[in-house]
Amino acid sequence: MSTESTTPPAGYDPQREHMLDFDVDQQLQKVIDTEDKNFILTSLDEVFNWARLSSLWPVTFGLACCAIEMMACSATRYDIDRFGAGAFRASPRQADLMIVSGTVTAKMARRLKLIYDQMPEPKWVVAMGSCAIGGGPYFKYGYHVVKGVDLLVPVDVYIPGCPPRPEVLLDGLMRLQDKIRGRKGKFRPPKWVANYAKKIPYRK
Amino acid sequence: MEFAAICTLLSTKLGDGVLELHEEGVEPWVDMKPDQIAAAAHLLRELPELDFNQLMCLSGIDWDGLDEKGKGKSVAILGYSADGKPETSDRVGEGDLGVAYHLYSHQHGHKFTLRVRVPRGAATLPSVAEIWPTGAWHEREAWDLVGIRFTGHPDLRRILLDDSWVGHPLRKDYQMPGRWDLAPLEGKPYSVNPHQKPMEPPPAGDADGSGGEG
Repeated sequence: MSTESTTPPAGYDPQREHMLDFDVDQQLQKVIDTEDKNFILTSLDEVFNWARLSSLWPVTFGLACCAIEMMACSATRYDIDRFGAGAFRASPRQADLMIVSGTVTAKMARRLKLIYDQMPEPKWVVAMGSCAIGGGPYFKYGYHVVKGVDLLVPVDVYIPGCPPRPEVLLDGLMRLQDKIRGRKGKFRPPKWVANYAKKIPYRK
Repeated sequence: MEFAAICTLLSTKLGDGVLELHEEGVEPWVDMKPDQIAAAAHLLRELPELDFNQLMCLSGIDWDGLDEKGKGKSVAILGYSADGKPETSDRVGEGDLGVAYHLYSHQHGHKFTLRVRVPRGAATLPSVAEIWPTGAWHEREAWDLVGIRFTGHPDLRRILLDDSWVGHPLRKDYQMPGRWDLAPLEGKPYSVNPHQKPMEPPPAGDADGSGGEG
């Protein structure tokens, strides 16, 4: 035997030797190599992300003419159900995606924020059309139009167009799915939860 | 009935309330005195040979920026600059305000248009909501956007804009809101017009329909 094999590897702890079971890896590889291949190895993040991106449920929230394109997108020709986002929910409690399709007026701003706050985490927002992105044609003289929905809620995907065609909405949906697919790491609680958790006395 | 016949009938009943006839346009109209508009509305609704049972539209008008012949002068339309800041000026509007009533009779199939001109400082008219119930919402819109107050209206509130709005945005001297981002979420007045005083709210007696003379 060579001298290298006698020196323990870095991080070797003799007290934990019984926990190292190299045999498990070999058995696992044997099971993977069987012809059945009837199980999947993955991380929990990937499973959750896959489930979330495959069943995005939008809240029914049509504001202006962009909503017509959104309805066309959910109809048979474009069929947003192919991407799992066709279950438009009438209640924000059951939805995790808000497609802001249209002009957000000043009177609607408070209602929009309320609907967003009622949606459970995790939640995503798509700003559809020029009005939702930055006021659109109402930017200069529209006294009643909020100049972009990102002044009110955080936006994940912006879809330009006036209005965008259904293909573009589908593309934006797929970009959002890419974004969710890349979501990694720990659950990040909202800021108010984090601030509240700091005040708990037993927490260091 | 023809337009001229309606006009002669009105002028015989109302005397000098009918000011001027305009028959040159597509829609001929009649200018009325503001204090005669309630009597004229009652006549137009109740006389059996007129019988105007529908108020098709009630529009508020701002004549600011128009000369005597109706030609438009250059009025600064103020918007937002490229970086989103409101462009303001201290120009105060000059022209009168007005209201146009578009009427239609389903029985006789004739139309009629009335127009009233009121001074800008005292833009108050009697309400026609009791005669034509559809006028209630139209008058709320004219109050909301142009700022014409209707006495005797059952519920004169803003109809399109938020309740905390300051000013009447379809007036030609309207100033754009200074803050449009977070003010509606904080419950503050949405529009801050430094050069435009907010009009007083309608008197409290109007809320139950008892106030006013209309």
